Amino acid sequence: MNIADYKKYDVLNGKGLRNSLFTSGCRHHCKGCFNAATWNFDYGTPYTPQFEDQVISDLNVEGIKISGLSLLGGEPFEHVDGLLGLVRRIQQECVGKDIWIWSGYTFEEILADTSKSELLAYCDVLIDGKFILEQRNLKLQWRGSENQRVINVKQSLHQGKVVLQD
Amino acid sequence: MIVTLVIKRDGSEVPFNQQKIIDAICAAMNCTDKKIDMDVAQKVADKVTVKISKLHKIDIEHIQDEVQSALMNSKRKDAAEEYIGYREIRTLKRRERSSLDKKVQGLLDLTNEEVLKENSNKDGATIPTQRDLLAGIMAKDFAQTYMIPKRVVEAHNNGSLHFHDQDYSPYFPIYNCMLIDLKGMLENGFKLGNAQIETPKSITTATAITAQIIAQVASHIYGGNTINEIDIILAPYVAQSFIKHFKTGLQWLYSMNRTDIDALDIFYENQQLKETYPNCFEYAKHLTEKETFDAFQSLEYEINTLVSANGQTPFSTFGFGRGLSWEERQIQIAILKNRIRGLGKDGKTPVFPKLIFGMEEGVNLKPEDPNYDIKQLALKCSTLRMYPDIISVPKVKEITGSFKFPMGCRSFLGAYEEDGQALHDGRFNMGVVTANLPRIAIRAKGSEKTFYRLLDELLETCKEGLMFRVNRLKGVKAKVAPILYMEGAAGSRLQPEDSIDHLLENGRASISLGYIGIHETILSLYGQHIFDDEKLRQKGLDIVKYLSAKATAWKNETGYGFSLYSTPAESLCYRFCKLDEEQFGVIAGITDKGYYTNSFHLDVNKKVTPFEKIELEKDYPQHANGGFITYCEFDSLVKNPEALEAVWDYAYERLPYFGTNTPTDKCLECGFEGEFEATNTGFKCPNCDNSNPKTSSVIRRCCGYLSEPSQRPFNAGKQKEVLSRVKHM
Repeated sequence: MNIADYKKYDVLNGKGLRNSLFTSGCRHHCKGCFNAATWNFDYGTPYTPQFEDQVISDLNVEGIKISGLSLLGGEPFEHVDGLLGLVRRIQQECVGKDIWIWSGYTFEEILADTSKSELLAYCDVLIDGKFILEQRNLKLQWRGSENQRVINVKQSLHQGKVVLQD
Repeated sequence: MIVTLVIKRDGSEVPFNQQKIIDAICAAMNCTDKKIDMDVAQKVADKVTVKISKLHKIDIEHIQDEVQSALMNSKRKDAAEEYIGYREIRTLKRRERSSLDKKVQGLLDLTNEEVLKENSNKDGATIPTQRDLLAGIMAKDFAQTYMIPKRVVEAHNNGSLHFHDQDYSPYFPIYNCMLIDLKGMLENGFKLGNAQIETPKSITTATAITAQIIAQVASHIYGGNTINEIDIILAPYVAQSFIKHFKTGLQWLYSMNRTDIDALDIFYENQQLKETYPNCFEYAKHLTEKETFDAFQSLEYEINTLVSANGQTPFSTFGFGRGLSWEERQIQIAILKNRIRGLGKDGKTPVFPKLIFGMEEGVNLKPEDPNYDIKQLALKCSTLRMYPDIISVPKVKEITGSFKFPMGCRSFLGAYEEDGQALHDGRFNMGVVTANLPRIAIRAKGSEKTFYRLLDELLETCKEGLMFRVNRLKGVKAKVAPILYMEGAAGSRLQPEDSIDHLLENGRASISLGYIGIHETILSLYGQHIFDDEKLRQKGLDIVKYLSAKATAWKNETGYGFSLYSTPAESLCYRFCKLDEEQFGVIAGITDKGYYTNSFHLDVNKKVTPFEKIELEKDYPQHANGGFITYCEFDSLVKNPEALEAVWDYAYERLPYFGTNTPTDKCLECGFEGEFEATNTGFKCPNCDNSNPKTSSVIRRCCGYLSEPSQRPFNAGKQKEVLSRVKHM
């Protein structure tokens, strides 16, 4: 797994002050993608254990209220194996931090896939669906086109249907 | 005999008259110890007359040259010297006069950019502002020629220091910024113009009077004015409005008679009243909330529509947030909700008054605090309107010795007691002189020792300038500014002929040494960026500590409230840099940027996180405790106030005073909301390329205040500084 970008103190991707991890590689190839360079699976730098330690310690930085980690891409669900270790550690080592994840797959598509849904279970918020240029709307919060949804993952899994985040 | 014509300086011609030469020589002789020698005067005049009598025309300067040389060859060389000196002074005066004329002409045809753009709050195209600018040009010229000590004038004009606000002071005995004693004025009544004003009986009247007071005060000082804790000061009038509405309710809903109504003790927390007359309580509560909202809407409009006698919107600041009562909370809510709504049908972001929100644990900081809801409102307001900035109540206490909001945009008073009571309202700042630190760093050529030696020299001149400012105010009579000294704005009620001296002394008023460009100073002295090296950070801090120690020494020596002030440098950032570039040439990272950096701030073009910027700047205010502010640049946070809260909470623990700059621009052509692109000449909409100022609303922080540069362009240096700003997230 390669990392396309890692941003500390991101205010644009998710609620609160967050750290954002962009994974490389995507097969959706949406027209008008804001980050097309990251379609390439070889883009960026390799993910290392040292880097993972850094991500964990950055979330726990003292004196600054970091709300959590945002996983974007690329398509993070292309790297279920690569990310599972990280999200498990966050759950254990980073108290009170939430995980937001952006995907071109829909909630339903992810649920239908055993390994993808395993990763999803560690996340709190999912922004799902491809970016559709014709439905682009810059006034939307956390997403780029009208078809995409901001989903409360825990509630949705619990109730067995999509529950939107308020 | 030929009648020689003399060509005067204005080009006109008059017949030669020997008597005029004799008079001039006698005048010169009269200034010498040997006094007048009529015989010599006559001989010299004759000699000159013979020499020129063959000519048809001669220039006045040539005649004077002849007189000069004839005098030099006479036995009265002393008189020759006087004559030469007199000529030189006259020449200088004429040159000054012509440059003064040029400035006045430049104002008339709007080409005098220096005067027109010095203050981004002034619309130099309008007649009342031009009257003010004209007065400023004359006052400054007069003050430099006849009032300010020569050494200080020279240092100011060559850019070693800046004697601020010469267009007002010292020609007028006027001071800088203040905390208005609004409480004292409202409680005790006062005279305004022709009217005697009594204590208001509703919040509507109280805010209307507040606007009048602000306008009057702003016309009698040149700096900003602040209503310190406006929520607490005006709360009694919200209580009055509640009583008024409750009584109306009793009369109409319960048909009570006057006597019974007047017997009741009406106040919001009166539970018995609430239970006995529930409808009336709800009615009064609702109407009071509405009235408070409307009253503060009027106040905001008043301040934004006022033009003071200084030809500008009053620089006004409201400090609020610490009040816990229902009435105080209503005021906090009203201020914030009105600001969120904006001005006019387009909901434009108002530039005034500046809003400062006081944050404090147990009041509004944490979710369990009683006013946490108001902090949320303040966050929302700040993401939309840039204001409020925030004050950390405990940090201000720690750093300045007691809690108070700043005067104007960033000037802080120290602790001071009168009759055993801490006193803040009614106090003021007597003025600022700012030292150009980068210049002496350039001159020191990398030698720290030379830097401090030159600094000592410069500071002596600064002190002379500051003491001159103090002395200009000494002996001033109360009648020159009745609103301040006789009607209570400065916290006292003096008689017209009383002197104001006691208001200046023992630290009641502050007098501030300012400084600019720590960033460039370090770069010039040590060749490295202050951010990149822990040792250099210490060096920067050492300079400010040194300045602070000087101010303290002066305070102890003179008894006046000397303090160190972190100069905002709206136009100074440009002036110092330009003068240094002229004198020392283009120096990379120093004079090539077109601006010097504000006080202890990190250069705006350094890409760091807000937390890194806060860490770097947090150690300065405790030394520069006469004035400070830190701000960071952000992308729009409208959709993410939670992120802003994380930054505010971080700043609260470390900084006394913090502001955020976020884009709040609006294109009235295409409806785009976000951040306009800065260009060398102005601003343009990124969506439709519109750069028409009439259909753009662009708000930027200029110093501690906001400004609308789409309407009134910044000076060239400030625009360059704005262009260089990088986001801290």
